[in-house]
Amino acid sequence: MKRLFVVLMALVVALGFASTIKIGAVLPLSDITGRQAANAMKLAVKEINEAGGVLGMPVELFIVDDEMKPEKGAAAIDRLATVEKVDFFVGGMSSGVHLAQIPILKKYQKITVWIGAASYRCEEAIGPDADWYFHLHPWDYLQGESYAHGWRAITQKYPQVKIEKIFIAYEEGAFGTSSFKSYQDEFELAKKGTGVWAGLMKDLKGAPFKSAALGGGDYRAVLMQAKQYNPDLFIWAGYDADAIPILIQAKEIGFAPKLFVGAPPGWPADFGKNPLSHGVILYGMWAPALKDVSPIARHFWDAYVKEFNEEPATYFAPLGYTNIMFLIEGIKKAGSLDKDAIIKALREIEYDSPVGGVLKISPSRIIKNQGFRAQKILQWQNGVQHVIWPFEYQTAELIYPFPGWTGK
Amino acid sequence: MKRNFVGYVVLAIALFLIALLRPYAFFYGVQRGSLYGLVALPLALILGIVGLLNLAHGEFLTLSLYMTYLLFTKWGMDPLVSPAVTVPLLLAFGFVVYKLVIERSLKTHHLNLLLLTFGVSIVMVESLNIWWTSRPRNIYVPYASTSVNIFGVYVGGYEFLYTIAVVLVLTGLLLFLKKTRLGQATYAVGQNPKGAAIVGINVKFVYAFVFSLAAGLVALAGALLSVRSSIFPQAGGPFTMKSFSLTAMAGLGNLPGIVLAGIVLGIAEEFVKSIPGYTGWADLVFFVVLIAAIVFRAFGRREG
Amino acid sequence: MKYFMIAIVCVLCFLLPFFVGAYLIHVLTSIMIFLSLALSWDMMLRTGQLSFGIAGFFGLGAYASIIAVDDFSIDPLWSILVAAGFAALIALALGWIVLRLREIYFAITTLALSSVFMIFARNLSDLTGGSAGKVLYESIFKGDSIKIYWLVLSVALTVILVSELFQRTRIRFAINAIRDDEIAAKCSGVNIFKYLLFVFVLTSAIQGAVGALYAQQYAFVEPESTFSANFLLLPMSMALVGGIYSSLGPIIGAVVLGLASEYLKLIMPYGHLIIYGLILVLTIMFLPRGIYGTVVNRIAAKR
Repeated sequence: MKRLFVVLMALVVALGFASTIKIGAVLPLSDITGRQAANAMKLAVKEINEAGGVLGMPVELFIVDDEMKPEKGAAAIDRLATVEKVDFFVGGMSSGVHLAQIPILKKYQKITVWIGAASYRCEEAIGPDADWYFHLHPWDYLQGESYAHGWRAITQKYPQVKIEKIFIAYEEGAFGTSSFKSYQDEFELAKKGTGVWAGLMKDLKGAPFKSAALGGGDYRAVLMQAKQYNPDLFIWAGYDADAIPILIQAKEIGFAPKLFVGAPPGWPADFGKNPLSHGVILYGMWAPALKDVSPIARHFWDAYVKEFNEEPATYFAPLGYTNIMFLIEGIKKAGSLDKDAIIKALREIEYDSPVGGVLKISPSRIIKNQGFRAQKILQWQNGVQHVIWPFEYQTAELIYPFPGWTGK
Repeated sequence: MKRNFVGYVVLAIALFLIALLRPYAFFYGVQRGSLYGLVALPLALILGIVGLLNLAHGEFLTLSLYMTYLLFTKWGMDPLVSPAVTVPLLLAFGFVVYKLVIERSLKTHHLNLLLLTFGVSIVMVESLNIWWTSRPRNIYVPYASTSVNIFGVYVGGYEFLYTIAVVLVLTGLLLFLKKTRLGQATYAVGQNPKGAAIVGINVKFVYAFVFSLAAGLVALAGALLSVRSSIFPQAGGPFTMKSFSLTAMAGLGNLPGIVLAGIVLGIAEEFVKSIPGYTGWADLVFFVVLIAAIVFRAFGRREG
Repeated sequence: MKYFMIAIVCVLCFLLPFFVGAYLIHVLTSIMIFLSLALSWDMMLRTGQLSFGIAGFFGLGAYASIIAVDDFSIDPLWSILVAAGFAALIALALGWIVLRLREIYFAITTLALSSVFMIFARNLSDLTGGSAGKVLYESIFKGDSIKIYWLVLSVALTVILVSELFQRTRIRFAINAIRDDEIAAKCSGVNIFKYLLFVFVLTSAIQGAVGALYAQQYAFVEPESTFSANFLLLPMSMALVGGIYSSLGPIIGAVVLGLASEYLKLIMPYGHLIIYGLILVLTIMFLPRGIYGTVVNRIAAKR
């Protein structure tokens, strides 16, 4: 019956009785994040159309590769707006590419729901007036705030955990530097006894490294500085390519802080299999283990694996699915394609996302429509990423202190 | 030897001071510098003898990393044993690339070769990306993260293998170029290809041989590096320019100078990195030392 | 007759936005950005000096222009001249040293200088915004893509004109003499250094201006994307695929490769860069003088 309906819908479209809702996505298809986000978006569109579309119309998705080049990503917006004539823009990844897209997005002022670009510079470029712009990924400074809430909750639940001194090793590009900067800003507040980190951050130090993703890969100088400082909480903010080399080099110099935290956007394929990974804490939006505690995460996982015969490897997969579903929910609630009605609806809906958490729009520092504000605190345990915080999604108890390197 | 005199003096002073002030920076610098030298030697060989800057050099390294990874995960072959397989494979791969792409363009404008190898590098990176995705892979062997105690200084031991390897490879290459017939022919082609052809040396064979040999040596470096580095399509790319830098710093045709340049730059980099607050300027030191060495040598030659 | 044709083509280029959509205009704007870089690189190459520094001067110009607009409230249009002047000044200062180097030593030194510029852009945070870069709230002409197209077109035509002047005037003989035989050129009284410095400063100014255009079009600078190696490797590929030592060659190369990459992306969402790489390899293998060079050769052979 469903199938018949889809065929009928297609016929109707072909005859021109009804139009389609066109969504244009711009993603870096050569990267695993962009590729899986694109897959997840296709999955979402397929599910929507199988359920009869929205407002009686099928949804059509156009995906253009940004090649991780700013001018290509910007031209893709022009293409989707004028050639495919899409009604909505979705997608996103790198902040550098997004900065070039913002002037073009402003030209069209179509409803845009973005899942990438965490740099506060993007928020500055968008400005306060763009009510058509929805940003789902937490900004870099929001992430820093959310970890404070997480650690505070963890220190309360596990009294043996003590955090006073924090060391941050950050990759020297925009990604690492902006996350260090957000900690520095919070530290200034914490020194005055205000802000979210008050009492948790008595001292802060940091040092940059060149990421292996950009030709670096030697962290020993930075790790030595960290070892001499002897922090309670050690965080490295880099890329997936840094994950295992940092562990190897930390083991080599005998640096085993009580909390060893990594904050890359994705993890390497073999990380869980590596014996050194046991007990490593990570910041992330999502973990595969969420499927055991959240029905929507379970649904997404199964559907994705069935459709593409591979497992979602990055949080951009559930985020890409969320991107489409959230927009469609908004259109459904608005009941029409009127721009103002949809903007109003998107601001009101609450969408239970496979990323783990309910998506609800609220203002951030500059823009009016910010989606997710918090990251999660996860821990690698015996090869599996477990959720530690928020406790409502917790899948395992915290291992503390970090087991260190003996016997590995 | 005279050519390297300034380099030796600089090195001696730097070694002494840094070993005294910051022993960690000294040891790490020697290790990283050896790695840079090990990867740069094959590039210098091709640049010096074929006169071709191989922009796909780093991608050859990436390919050998993936091969080592495949051998390790599929057949459990230890990365230190895998050169027995990867070196011949990369030799063959280098030969095929040379025959298929490079050889017919040797007589055209020399910049064509540059673009050809750039094209090859794009094709290699993107093919690896399609096949393996951009997600990094890693090989874990416990011995790659062991430490050794040198006069009370506790440093990572594995990377000293780079130093041993670079000394062996350099000695091997120098002996080969001086003592064997093929080596002497290779040297002659590097000095003057037309003259070499006149005295009956098969220049095309020498070129093919050098290109394959260089690819094989890259595989050796790749095997050593594979247990310490993440393996992803762009993993080797940055080594191309680093190797080119070392070759230019040493001067064309100066193989020992490359190892020296690598170690000098490695130590300089690690020294800056070890100063808290200045870690981000390590790259600047790399490039300033590089430019200074090139300019100094150019002006020195003019006056001399 | 010939000039009449050229004039018509130029007028058509200016009228193009009235006939085609925003997407093609955007792609053509990018192509002209790369075309100007490719020509400026080729102009330096005509003296025999292989520069790997064009991404560096491109980035310098981009930063100079954004800082001029943001911190000194200079009009975005004037900021492009400021950027060109700044790049020229830096080139003048560095030229005294680097132009005494030849071949790969010149190439690697210009490349290293680009990296040095990038490290400064990243670390002088108070001026440059550090790793996160700097953004303007509004792009040039309030983001009007047709006006941006006209501006970039004007700059590109100016660059083409300069390149043609190089080919047609006395400078050409001096330059060719240097490239073919530096020692002979010196003996016949060509002041090599003066000419080299002139060309280096001029091409760097062009790269700076083009960088400023790019930065103003997208209203941002960021160390990683502004100093990207793409702004060296793509123009070089375009010039070589089109045919070096000419004005038409780099133009053809830029148009062919620019359109090809957009088209390939459409028919092959994943892995289109493999085909792009193959195109580079095959063009050079079978058209070693580039597209334009081969055509010229064929015509010459027929006569």
